[in-house]
Amino acid sequence: MAKLVFKSRYRKLLIGLAIIVIYYWSISGTDTNPINFIEGIPFMIDFVSRMFPPDVSNLGKFLLKALETLQMAIIGSTLGALIALPLSFLAARNVTSNRFIYHVVRGVFDTCRGINEIVWGLIFVSMVGLGPFPGVLALAAHVTGALGRYFSEAIETVDPEIIKAIVSTGANKFQVIVRGIFPQVKPLFINYAFYYLENNFRAATVLGLVGAGGIGMELITSMRLFRNQEVLTILIIMVLGVAAIDRFSAYVRKKIIRIERLE
Amino acid sequence: MIKIENLSHTYQNRGIEALKNINLEIQKGESLVIVGSSGSGKSTLLKAINRLVEPSSGRIFINGEDILHSPLEKVYQIRGKIGMIFQNFNLIERESVAQNVLNGRLRYNTNFNTIFSRFSPEDYSVARESLSMVNLADFKKERVTDLSGGQKQRVAIARALSQNPEIILADEPVSSLDPKLMKEIMDLLTNICRKKGITLVTSLHFLDFAKRYGTSIIGMRNGEIVFNGCSADLTEKDLINIYGETEDWHLYGKTGF
Repeated sequence: MAKLVFKSRYRKLLIGLAIIVIYYWSISGTDTNPINFIEGIPFMIDFVSRMFPPDVSNLGKFLLKALETLQMAIIGSTLGALIALPLSFLAARNVTSNRFIYHVVRGVFDTCRGINEIVWGLIFVSMVGLGPFPGVLALAAHVTGALGRYFSEAIETVDPEIIKAIVSTGANKFQVIVRGIFPQVKPLFINYAFYYLENNFRAATVLGLVGAGGIGMELITSMRLFRNQEVLTILIIMVLGVAAIDRFSAYVRKKIIRIERLE
Repeated sequence: MIKIENLSHTYQNRGIEALKNINLEIQKGESLVIVGSSGSGKSTLLKAINRLVEPSSGRIFINGEDILHSPLEKVYQIRGKIGMIFQNFNLIERESVAQNVLNGRLRYNTNFNTIFSRFSPEDYSVARESLSMVNLADFKKERVTDLSGGQKQRVAIARALSQNPEIILADEPVSSLDPKLMKEIMDLLTNICRKKGITLVTSLHFLDFAKRYGTSIIGMRNGEIVFNGCSADLTEKDLINIYGETEDWHLYGKTGF
């Protein structure tokens, strides 16, 4: 007994020490310094004060650009979901018995997801030029990886007994996937896709920073020209836009999940 | 109709010998009931017949065709003639009754039409007919979630019937229902099969049910057939062979004998 208590104390001490080391290492590596922060506050106030009042002379143009961002998010998410959907079955162990295909598709998903939207944006801007289209491709690439992984994990959790029932009717493998597996994961898929629409609107606002269209591109332009009052207008539009999309998406997802829980 | 020769099966992952050298012949139009306690191999035997379980060795002939050594396309075709009913219904809960019953028609549908849930007029009429046979004609648009247990099992029977089956395998079809519904479902199932000349193979826990619904009975224990005959032949000794010496006879319904 005494030995056990000692052991657990010893362990707690070790874990505590490890946490302290990790934080010290991270803080010293990043020059995180509260004094610097406090000394910087007047500069921040100065910067923010120069933003007031917000300049709304280009409001119409900015709103159009915000809609472009929404369009990018819609097309990017849809494209990503459509690519991820068939591939995700190949990356589900209960559907694909071929280990090679399984690992290759998983690898594709990991790569797509592992590369940030901004980096994808840089790649596609160099491929198809500036504008919203490379932004759409960047979002689609990242979403393919993310949704592909979630979709395939959802497929792996379906009820095998229901699959057996469809198999027993003499259905072929394709029909079993379409009529036995897909109906079981459909609400989850829609839920994830809407979550990524929400996510993509947020990601799309920053994609403009690398020249991939939308409201982010206006932001970076105004910042470079020191039009601080315009910057504020754009930031307000971004925040309101993100909040609106988040609310809408959350509402839709809640409805879907509620249906799912009833079952 | 069904001929099983030297069938054995071992579950690889658990190393359990579920079936040991089973030999069995099932005649057309027969209602065979398999009894035995849990783990006796009833379910494995049923699932081997339509190859939901891939047996380790042996042969199974359905109408003279060896399902275990047939190419996949042939297996689909044979399975199409064998309807199956499960203890937990195994329906797609969030879909409508009609959609679930139409799944019995997949064998007759193309892949392309399957994607869009499109079925031929014939498929629809067969599905409608199957639903009216189980007295659920007015429920086709209901979601399965909203149905009671007994209704769900009737939908599952309709799904099996819409295959136009020659054989129906029922794996403990009434084990998750209350006693009144048990009788109702078994009456319905056996009557339809008798009327349509469908061979019915059912696994059941209860002896009085086996006696009432089986034209013949097999008893299984530890993966072996320890009784094969009609209910009148079933003696006290056979019961001990099937269930072992037990204090709990009332659980198996021996009172009915």
